[in-house]
Amino acid sequence: MTLLPTASGARTRAVLGELVRPHRGLAVAGFGVLTAATATGLLTAPLVGRIVDAVAQRDPDVITWIVAGLIAVAVVQGVTTAAGLSLVSRLGETVLARLRERFVERALHLPLDELERAGSGDLVARVTGDVSLVAEAVRRALPELVRSSLAIVLTLGALAVLDWRFLLAALCAAPVQAYTARWYVRRAVPLYAEQRVANGAQQQQLLDGIGGAATVRAFRLEDEHTGLVARKSRALVELTMRTIHLVLRFYCRLHVAEYTGLAAVLVAGFVLVDGGHASIGTATAAALYFHNLFAPMNTVLVLIDDAQAAGAGLARLVGVADRPAPGAPAETAPGDGSVTVEAVEHEYVPGRPVLHGIDLRVRPGERVALVGASGAGKTTLAKLVAGVHAPTGGTVRADDVALVTQEVHVFAGTLAEDLRLAAPDASAERLRDALARVGALEWAEEELPDGFGTVVGEGGHRLTSARSQQLALARLILADPRVAVLDEATAEAGSAGAKVLERAAERAVEGRTALVVAHRLTQAASADRVVVMDGGRVVESGTHDELRAAGGAYAALWSAWSGSRDA
Amino acid sequence: MAGGRDVLWGAVRGQRGDVTIAAALASGHQIGETFVPVLIGIAIDAAVGPGDGRALLLWLGVLAIVYVGLSWSFRIGAYRGERAGARAAHEVRTAIVARVLDPRGGAERGRLPGALASIATEDARRVGAVNVALMAGIAAVVALVASAVVLLGISVPLGLLVLLGAPPLLWAGHLLSKPLERRSRAEQERGAHASAVAADLVGGLRVLKGIGAERAAVERYRATSARSLEATLRAARAEAWQNGTVLALTGIFIAIVALVGGRLAAAGDIGLGELVSAVGLALLLLGPLSTLSWVNTELAQGRASAARVAEVLAAPEAVPSGAAEPLVAVDGRVRLRDVACGSLAGVSFEVEPGELLGVVADPADAWNLLRCLGREVDPDAGAVELDGVPLATLAPGAVRRSILVAPHDADLFAGGLEDNVAAVARIDVGKAMAAAGADEVLRGTVLGERGRTLSGGQRQRVALARALAADADVLVLHDPTTAVDAVTEARIAEGLRAIRAGRTTIVVTASPALLAVADRVVLLAEGRVADTGTHAELAGRADYRTAVLA
Repeated sequence: MTLLPTASGARTRAVLGELVRPHRGLAVAGFGVLTAATATGLLTAPLVGRIVDAVAQRDPDVITWIVAGLIAVAVVQGVTTAAGLSLVSRLGETVLARLRERFVERALHLPLDELERAGSGDLVARVTGDVSLVAEAVRRALPELVRSSLAIVLTLGALAVLDWRFLLAALCAAPVQAYTARWYVRRAVPLYAEQRVANGAQQQQLLDGIGGAATVRAFRLEDEHTGLVARKSRALVELTMRTIHLVLRFYCRLHVAEYTGLAAVLVAGFVLVDGGHASIGTATAAALYFHNLFAPMNTVLVLIDDAQAAGAGLARLVGVADRPAPGAPAETAPGDGSVTVEAVEHEYVPGRPVLHGIDLRVRPGERVALVGASGAGKTTLAKLVAGVHAPTGGTVRADDVALVTQEVHVFAGTLAEDLRLAAPDASAERLRDALARVGALEWAEEELPDGFGTVVGEGGHRLTSARSQQLALARLILADPRVAVLDEATAEAGSAGAKVLERAAERAVEGRTALVVAHRLTQAASADRVVVMDGGRVVESGTHDELRAAGGAYAALWSAWSGSRDA
Repeated sequence: MAGGRDVLWGAVRGQRGDVTIAAALASGHQIGETFVPVLIGIAIDAAVGPGDGRALLLWLGVLAIVYVGLSWSFRIGAYRGERAGARAAHEVRTAIVARVLDPRGGAERGRLPGALASIATEDARRVGAVNVALMAGIAAVVALVASAVVLLGISVPLGLLVLLGAPPLLWAGHLLSKPLERRSRAEQERGAHASAVAADLVGGLRVLKGIGAERAAVERYRATSARSLEATLRAARAEAWQNGTVLALTGIFIAIVALVGGRLAAAGDIGLGELVSAVGLALLLLGPLSTLSWVNTELAQGRASAARVAEVLAAPEAVPSGAAEPLVAVDGRVRLRDVACGSLAGVSFEVEPGELLGVVADPADAWNLLRCLGREVDPDAGAVELDGVPLATLAPGAVRRSILVAPHDADLFAGGLEDNVAAVARIDVGKAMAAAGADEVLRGTVLGERGRTLSGGQRQRVALARALAADADVLVLHDPTTAVDAVTEARIAEGLRAIRAGRTTIVVTASPALLAVADRVVLLAEGRVADTGTHAELAGRADYRTAVLA
């Protein structure tokens, strides 16, 4: 399986830059206001220091003024922080929204061929896992990181303003912190990755056992499955504890850094006060500044691995979002609705052909049923006609083709929205008509709580697989192609549902050229022509009656199927 | 079985050793953190001010000792607390899975697999996390008491101001942020919607492309994303203002403490160092106080989760255990006597040992029949008997040792394709695969979650192979070939007949190919037996033709 591309660091930054550029003003304003907010906050410590000085000088009236200043600082800091955070969030969220829109656009326009090769799992994982990873980072980590970084830079600056030797003292902590951060990231990244894998494994094991509880009980595999979950869960507990152990060691090393810096600042204060270079108030302010650095320092260091994970997710998103934009839809002259397959050969793996010299002509409006055992090549032929793959040999001519397979998917949203994906401007009347034709109008109007307004799909009203497939056929009617390819579109239902679906499929392809991969012979019996395939070749072709009279493979099949009636 | 409270206390009691040590050490850590600003104040007062170098060394030494103490208390305490949480969650998780998979069943009634899995992961984690919350809560209370003692030692009026001022400050912040928080949560849910829609569209990508709906989908996604962005921005704004408000309130509180402290110091009531310590402590006090409100939410969430866990653990069993001795040698004679169960209104028929019986029934009747045969429910009236023993008197596990009911939507399990079959096989796996027409499904294929990597037809054939490989005394199949093409189905019918020769087999189906190889076919209609005969005999009936051949 070839995974979809992941962007390089340089490409990721370039695309990010491209997305941020239209919002430059916002970026400047956001960072500017937050800088102002943080700078205002730094006034607190020297003001407290001034109170200390005022007390030392027995000047109690000045205290009231300084306190008024403190209150003003608090209010200004609160307001500017709120405004700055709003602006930074607006920037982050807007860029994220543009990125995810671009991702979805490019993802939906990936060629089916490529998608089949990569499997949709990778794409789904990116759109769920990576988008939420990046979103979480934008929502939680970004504002925190910006604020904390500003706080650190400005506090260090303020220390320097008090006296550059305080800054020097504070920086004693930096080597320990830098070393600790590197030490931690090098160990944490693989450990977190391992933990995510273990978490996924446990989740899968749980869904496997719980989702298949009836089967587990039927085969009396209860103890085995409970044991499997327990083993996965224990492995996860062990990994979690290893991660926690690492995080705790990380914090302990940061404690060392804190102490080193604090002791250095106190010593510096002692020396400076002793030498008459600073007041006690200044030394107090410096110590308070440094104590206040603990929180933002820890925040930044802890956010390092969040940022790293988000960066990896971002690279995977950009890998898809960076693909070329889809062009305008090709304006081809509409064909007459015929399908021509000439001398078609196909192989998925070189040297292992699955189709040999297929010739098939389907007249406009004709309904052809493909019959054959699994592996005979029916689905491959259907995919070639639908344009999913280009044949490795020969030609396929068909245009305005739609494909409905046994893969059912009800799109989340209201029933009307689901249907309008196929025809965005369809009137309510047309929707009703399409549902009526596939025999779904009755349940849609009477059994769904809000009729066409009922929310269906993931998280909404659950539809049976037969009903979901009826919707797929209704969407086919609304998309209104000239050629319809149905690949076992009725296979997922039980016997009762299959009959309903067969009728629905029949109505859905009325007036169209149709190629139907049939697994129930009743479907073949009602087609205009039956094509029997075996081993990648067409072995019989004719109407149901002709083939029955011919006494070949199809005739044998039919008599087994219909029991004594024909035997 | 226990209620939520018992689940919660069980989770704590099971880890009481770790929780006790964790709480003690975490308290030590908090006290240490409280002393840091105090020591800064003392160092300035006693060493920096007077310029006493020996005092400086002394207090830096004390500070070092405090740091070593707080660091190690934190490291060991937090480790024990987190371990208690993880282990308790593991135990809850295992108990839930054991209950769900219990042969007597009943736990999954009214719950989707996803919901049960989330109870076994998220809720179990939250129940376990109560141990961590307990540790943090105890430590926060200890820290509060320690700060109170120190503050009151410095000055009673200043101490009272800080101690009495901090809770209302937090409460005010809470009150102010409550409406913002509520709004922000609602907005964030709307914001998350965009991700969900994107995942949904990508999940159905092949379906979309099949009907050429990419463009419509992209347009729709743009609109959704824009609406989500609006909501997220409102949420972010609300949160930013909440942050700003709390910040401003805290600043004002510190200003007031500084005012009172400054005046007291100016009047000579407290020393300079004590003033610095008090301001530092006032700031620090906000930590444990907000920890307490976090603990409160954690406990509330833990209680809600524990209630959900308890509900699953205490779910009524679908069928009681039976008291009769399990059957040793089974002939395979199955008899239904006037069975009434759901839509079944008095069904009686008998299956001879070794017979292959077809049953044609509408979906509701088929479902009820299968559930009774596998003893997933007991009939409301009448009885199902195996070799003359009513199933209701046997343990559900004992029934299933003899009768295997393979449901239509049988799940495959993750792992190797053949492992699925081999896990239950009592006969040669290859033989069973061949009989089920599954021999040309790629051997050695690794199955994804519940076999989703296979097509419907492949999945069905592998499931059938597994059912055949188990070689049960009585095998009950339901629509085993609906997703299989007609050619393969005919082959399967022959294979089934051959591999089950001499063993009792019941096939509930509408497939003519399968019914044609059955010894007899029972036609159910409106919950009763309408007719019995061979496929050929019944083919003369109009209702049978409608059900089977239409």
